Amino acid sequence: MSLELLNAFRFQKKNTLVHNLDPRAKLLFSLIYSIAALLFTEIVPLLLIFLTLIPLILLGRMTKEWIKSVRGLSFLILLIIIFNTFFLSLSYAIAMILRICIMITAFSIFFLTVHPNELALSLISMKVPYPYAFSFSLAFRFVPTIAMEAQNILDAQQSRGYEMQQKGLINQIKNLFPLLVPLIVCSIKRAFNVAEALESRAFGSTNDRSFYYTIKYTFKDWLFTIYLLIFLAVVIYVRIQFNFMPELLHFALPV
Amino acid sequence: MDTKLPLIIINNVDFTYPNGTLALKKINLNVYKGESIGIMGMNGAGKTTLIRTLNGLIRPSNGNIYLGGKNIKTESIGKLSQIVGIIFQNPNHQVFSNTVEEEIKFSLKSLNLNKEEIQNRTSNILNTFNLDKYKERSPLNLSGGETKKLALASIFCRNPEILVFDEPTLGQDAKEINFFVDLINKEKDRGKTIIIVTHNIEFALEYIPRTILMAKGMIIADGPTKKILTNEFLISKSSLTLPQIRQFNLELNKIGIQCPDDINSKSEMTAFLMNYFKNKSTKVQGESN
Repeated sequence: MSLELLNAFRFQKKNTLVHNLDPRAKLLFSLIYSIAALLFTEIVPLLLIFLTLIPLILLGRMTKEWIKSVRGLSFLILLIIIFNTFFLSLSYAIAMILRICIMITAFSIFFLTVHPNELALSLISMKVPYPYAFSFSLAFRFVPTIAMEAQNILDAQQSRGYEMQQKGLINQIKNLFPLLVPLIVCSIKRAFNVAEALESRAFGSTNDRSFYYTIKYTFKDWLFTIYLLIFLAVVIYVRIQFNFMPELLHFALPV
Repeated sequence: MDTKLPLIIINNVDFTYPNGTLALKKINLNVYKGESIGIMGMNGAGKTTLIRTLNGLIRPSNGNIYLGGKNIKTESIGKLSQIVGIIFQNPNHQVFSNTVEEEIKFSLKSLNLNKEEIQNRTSNILNTFNLDKYKERSPLNLSGGETKKLALASIFCRNPEILVFDEPTLGQDAKEINFFVDLINKEKDRGKTIIIVTHNIEFALEYIPRTILMAKGMIIADGPTKKILTNEFLISKSSLTLPQIRQFNLELNKIGIQCPDDINSKSEMTAFLMNYFKNKSTKVQGESN
């Protein structure tokens, strides 16, 4: 078994239009798309929102990573189909899958194209205190390290007969302990080590600090922001006037 | 010619990671039952990747691996780990139970043993590793050396035919290294096959008879440790340093004491120097007379 899914949220340096956008614009993008996804429970509007994400994936040259992130959700998608089809309807199940895909895709685009340093800078520019902004970007930066550590733990446990697949839900939950306990313990130990290393380099000794890199909101970022605001306005309008919208938007499967 | 069939046959094995890194290139290796081999080389040479293929943790992109004449392609990790026990570098990656005793029992549960057998094996292994005094303690509260011992014990209790160690001497003090040496010597006497991945050149020179040297995913040398680790060209290719005894030998040559190339141990060097100074003093005495 591999924990490759986490790589789908790991920053990859590329020179594309999406990568070169300001991280604040991309954060706004992820939030607006998540809000848009939460406004609807119908298939067609969610599908249309989802389709607007495709050009960004193509422009950012991240199709492979995006497919990995969606593939990693296959278990969750299966659960949604089973539970919603049994208790509600197949249409609702498909809508919920689309909603999750939109949210995952929006955040996947954000994490794949924003460098941890840029993330800290954008938070600081939004007046978040430096220690908090730094902690957040550090947590973000450690995702690949934790993914690698989780894989090493899995290998070490499998080498002494541990098997991932167990029968029954309770056994499957119990079976996570050999992986989660070492992972949490190692992460806490690493956190203490990082804290000590930071303190030994005088972290937090002064409130005023300079920054080697700076970020700037350029013309293309403003254009993207205007697009996002128009998109949000249209989505909200459609939601409010949904009952008066064409029949096509109300489409649902017969079952 | 050796007529025995090797216990491990690695035949033309390649492995590429999902990110495209070619970690193993055309690896061919035979390991015989009861042999002790060392795998050495620079960081990123493919040593750990190679040992991970032995119990199926990673499957070769090309080529085949045979254990006891059987292709492991379709065997599960669970089944292979009964034959190949890998002890990883970081022991903290496996401890999770409430007590040291339970940690050992976890390793035995997948072997389909009865309760009595599990209890017997646990007691014996705790005793062998001097861990019985900690058996009720949480493994998370043990010192680094003790946790390493526990990690070793949790694989040794499974009694695999092949023991694979990844950097066993890393971060260990002299006492702990001596304990480890005694342990592998006992296992050698029991006919176990031992594979050790290490950067510790002095350790390899003293305790491992055969060495495989790797660089850039390939095996660049395979042969007697003493011959390989004293070869300056191979050592520089693998980002290692010559053993101290060899460096001393070269220094002696520089100051005009012609030391034979085949001196590779402290006892051989002591004997040579004793002999050299004895001859020298006899010569000086003869000249003064």
